Amino acid sequence: MAFESSPARQVRQPGPLSPQEFKATAEAILTNVEWVIEGKSPTIRLALAVMLAEGHLLLEDVPGVGKTQLAKALARSVDCSVRRIQFTPDLLPSDVTGVSIFDPEKRDFVFKPGAIFGNLILGDEINRASPKTQAALLECMEERQVTIDGNTYKLRSPFMVIATQNPVEMEGTYPLPEAQRDRFTARLAIGYPDVNAELAMLDHRGEVNPLEALKPVCDGDTITRMVATARAVHLAPELKRYAVDIVSATRTNAQVRLGASPRATLQLLRCARVLAAMDGRDFALPDDVQQLAVPVLAHRLIPTTETTMGGGDTASIVADIMRHVPVVSQPGRY
Amino acid sequence: MSGQRHATMIAAVSLSLTLTPLAGIFDGLGWTVPVLLVVAVVAVAGSLMRSAGRGQGLQTLAMVAALMVLMTTLFNGGTAIALIIPTPDTFAHWLGLVGHGINDIITMTPPVEADGGILFLTMMGVGVVAILHDMFIVGLRTPALAGLTLLTMYLVPVSVAPDATAWFWFILPAVAYLWILGDDNLRRVSRFGHRFTGSGRLVGPRFPSPLAVTARVTGAVFVTLTLLLLAVIPVSTSGLVDQVAQGYGDGEGPGGEGDLGSLDPWAQLSGSLHRPDPFDVLRVTTDDPTPRYLRMHVADVLTNDGFHPGDYGELDSLDSLDGGGEVFTAEVENLALVDQVLPVYGQPTEIGLGDEWGVDPDTGVIATEESSLEDVEAYTVHYTEQDWDPGVLAAAGAVSPEDPVFERNTEHPDVPELTEAVEGIMAQSGAATTHEKVLAILDFLSPANGFTYSLETADAGNEEAVLDFLETKKGYCQQYAATMAWMLREADVPARVAIGLTKGTYSGGVWTVSSSNFHAWVEVYYGGLGWITFDPTPSQGVASSVSFPWAEEPSEDGGAVDQPGTDPEDAPSTAAPSEGPTLAEELDPRGQEQAEAEAAAREDGGVDPAWLALLLVLAVPFIPALWRSGLRRSRLGPRRLSAQSAWDETRDLAVDYGLELHDSFTPRQTAAAISAAVPATGEAVGALASAVEFDRYSGRGADTTALPVAATDLRASLHRAAGGRRRLRARLWPASLAERLTEQRGRAAVRLTDLRAKAPWPRRSNGGGDEAVTGRP
Repeated sequence: MAFESSPARQVRQPGPLSPQEFKATAEAILTNVEWVIEGKSPTIRLALAVMLAEGHLLLEDVPGVGKTQLAKALARSVDCSVRRIQFTPDLLPSDVTGVSIFDPEKRDFVFKPGAIFGNLILGDEINRASPKTQAALLECMEERQVTIDGNTYKLRSPFMVIATQNPVEMEGTYPLPEAQRDRFTARLAIGYPDVNAELAMLDHRGEVNPLEALKPVCDGDTITRMVATARAVHLAPELKRYAVDIVSATRTNAQVRLGASPRATLQLLRCARVLAAMDGRDFALPDDVQQLAVPVLAHRLIPTTETTMGGGDTASIVADIMRHVPVVSQPGRY
Repeated sequence: MSGQRHATMIAAVSLSLTLTPLAGIFDGLGWTVPVLLVVAVVAVAGSLMRSAGRGQGLQTLAMVAALMVLMTTLFNGGTAIALIIPTPDTFAHWLGLVGHGINDIITMTPPVEADGGILFLTMMGVGVVAILHDMFIVGLRTPALAGLTLLTMYLVPVSVAPDATAWFWFILPAVAYLWILGDDNLRRVSRFGHRFTGSGRLVGPRFPSPLAVTARVTGAVFVTLTLLLLAVIPVSTSGLVDQVAQGYGDGEGPGGEGDLGSLDPWAQLSGSLHRPDPFDVLRVTTDDPTPRYLRMHVADVLTNDGFHPGDYGELDSLDSLDGGGEVFTAEVENLALVDQVLPVYGQPTEIGLGDEWGVDPDTGVIATEESSLEDVEAYTVHYTEQDWDPGVLAAAGAVSPEDPVFERNTEHPDVPELTEAVEGIMAQSGAATTHEKVLAILDFLSPANGFTYSLETADAGNEEAVLDFLETKKGYCQQYAATMAWMLREADVPARVAIGLTKGTYSGGVWTVSSSNFHAWVEVYYGGLGWITFDPTPSQGVASSVSFPWAEEPSEDGGAVDQPGTDPEDAPSTAAPSEGPTLAEELDPRGQEQAEAEAAAREDGGVDPAWLALLLVLAVPFIPALWRSGLRRSRLGPRRLSAQSAWDETRDLAVDYGLELHDSFTPRQTAAAISAAVPATGEAVGALASAVEFDRYSGRGADTTALPVAATDLRASLHRAAGGRRRLRARLWPASLAERLTEQRGRAAVRLTDLRAKAPWPRRSNGGGDEAVTGRP
């Protein structure tokens, strides 16, 4: 079965890539995805960075801006097993994780793996599922394994969940609990395309769905190697300090009821490493951290009631924090 | 504590702090209890009325009433009803106390005992000031006006006793004033609600405002500059104080009733001469047809402040007095003098007083240690008056420097301007002998040389009062006598100042000496002859002055001074200045020449400190520029050069040329901002940014060889792109320096706040506590 073969594949990997190779591969994936979603290259870049940081991505936006397109395009660009789960209110946890059913021929229970056993999981409209089902998925995301009837099944590697959801204000949704939002490395909003991108889109979509024509540009092995490469990117002490300063600023901010967790610091720097590698560098820069701060931190903060009532959102709080945290904490230095 | 009660407390405490200079004029600390009681009573009265919700009018009335009750309790003289309700008699009693107090202020020298009239005046004054102070700070909420009350409080000791009030006494009143202003401002700001820092963070009311940093820098720079200027430019601030002090010379009430205090002869003299209503102090009957001056004190200790009497230490018995010549007898009746020295004529040979009186061997002053003139109603003096022939004086030799008299009476502080002036006079007149020197100086101080008698002395801004006198040429006997004696000492002639009384007015066989007859003159020591009296003060200024025949120049006749031997019958009229010799008679062309010579000598004398000060002031605007270029050289110099130092320079350059950079900018963003503003800088700033990026984040270090050139290029590009004013500003007043200074100030302020937060005692605030505004629930 597919989920058993993954350890064997990892053995064959021939070590990390050079910065140039990394950059080239990343560019290839990006170009591929951009062919489907026009004019959103920074968002795609961040999505890829989350993927290469072994994180999970939450795409949150209004319907119809291309959340599912992005997730699908990203998945198709990599030649690995892709599973899609359409979350609906009647979806059960066992549909996600799998179930043991009785095989009358063998006279025994046989495990039927659920949708979670793939490299890339697309969880569409995750906030339409009941909290019970959401919880099942989120547990898998954190532990990268599934335990059913006393048996523990390891999930594949690489493993990444790309979930989409509509903004919580929309009707018929079950918003993700705060603790579960923390499991997602980053939350991205795609936003409406600009006029030119929308025109280009109309032209492309005229004949065929570009998604259908998308070809994979790399395989799961390469992704594994890229992940290993990104992990070796140098993090200077100043940069670590900068990340800690930012995260602790979210904890002391007057508009925030609950700040970001230490897990957020870890994931912020992990993604920063990927961004640096995607730029062909073997060391990360504060610029990388700055690009990631809003996607990685904003969805983890819980604003005070006053902020919510005043129409403030956590993304603008993080952006504001980024404008005030000095890049170098040593006084008198810049 | 409510805000108002807090403000009341601040008003009371700040006023109490301002009372500290009074310590200089009072003996001991006993005065603090009643005075602080006044402050406390006024504060409590005002506070009670306020908490009862009454308006300002009633508050003020309550404070006045409380003050009245307290004063009645303490000073009723048995006239009050039930000890607290004043009657008309009480007010009469108070008037008497005021009279005593004013008299004591005039005649006594600090430190004085705080009781009776002086204590009453002090408490009353403090009470009135406390009421005003409370009104300004709490009731009317105009704390700036409290400066006036504090200043009033400070001026009292300063004007009464300028010498006893050292400059540092000003510190506490100043701190008190700043405290009042600061606290009121805090209260005002707190009323608006939460406070924010510049970065939009909510902070407690005690957190320093971002504006405070600017204010503190400005204040510090201003104070430093002022201190620097004061240190360089010779400025005397005593003028104002002197003039204020003179305003206290008038008063009412009979003199001489004051308590026995430590009398300063100069204060007594000055106070008596300024008194608009002179009173009689002595009545003398003598068989001397031409009595001269009644000598009391001898001031022979010369400091920068002038002559002061030494300690009349070991007194010889009165029996040791003797002397030859014609002996006169004087019966002296004491009407009002309270002193520990006896006014006597000439050389006393016999004095009809007990053993408690003795004669000081050095000065010849008749003094007592235990007793006082107050206990002496009348006494008899037998004395001789010596007349000197000008020829004998002219022939007198110089005093040997080994003579103890010489040493004791030629000591003088070093005042180069005065030394120069005396040398000029001596060179001009060619004076060599003691007598010639004396005459030269008498000449110099004569009205012919422009010196005029005036009870109002002017301040010319010199450090030494003696130089003021030489410059303004206006003064009275004190200035004349002290200046002549000092100049003689400069010329190596032993001289001292005698203080006493002139002969007074004659009528019905009795000489009546009044308080306006106080006078000072000079005694000069002639080798082999002893102490000879001279009076440099123009006779028209001195009531009942006497001229000394030997003071005329031997070669000239028709002297510049009054004829000797004034008939007693004429004496009463000599008090009138119009009777004195006319100026025309005294006109001496030599005086003018001397003045010119003196002026010339001044011009030659070295570099004027004022020029130095001017140079320093002119150099001040260039300090930032010098500092900035030194900083640049050090950062780009081979010893300190690193990617970081070059980057510091880059940032500062950008700030200097008016670009706005924030510390949340990464090197790339900074570089982008700079090259967006000035595209020509792109290459240089890119190189600098990538160097610092490498240095800081790659863990491998960066190549710095090209950085100094890049920094120079960057500067050139920025300079080309900037406008004229911007260029000038970047050169002279680099904004980056100010920014770094502000930053350091801010950091210090934050550290201070942290320290305060760690302090074991809680800090109170006006806004209802810090805890409500920390931003997080």
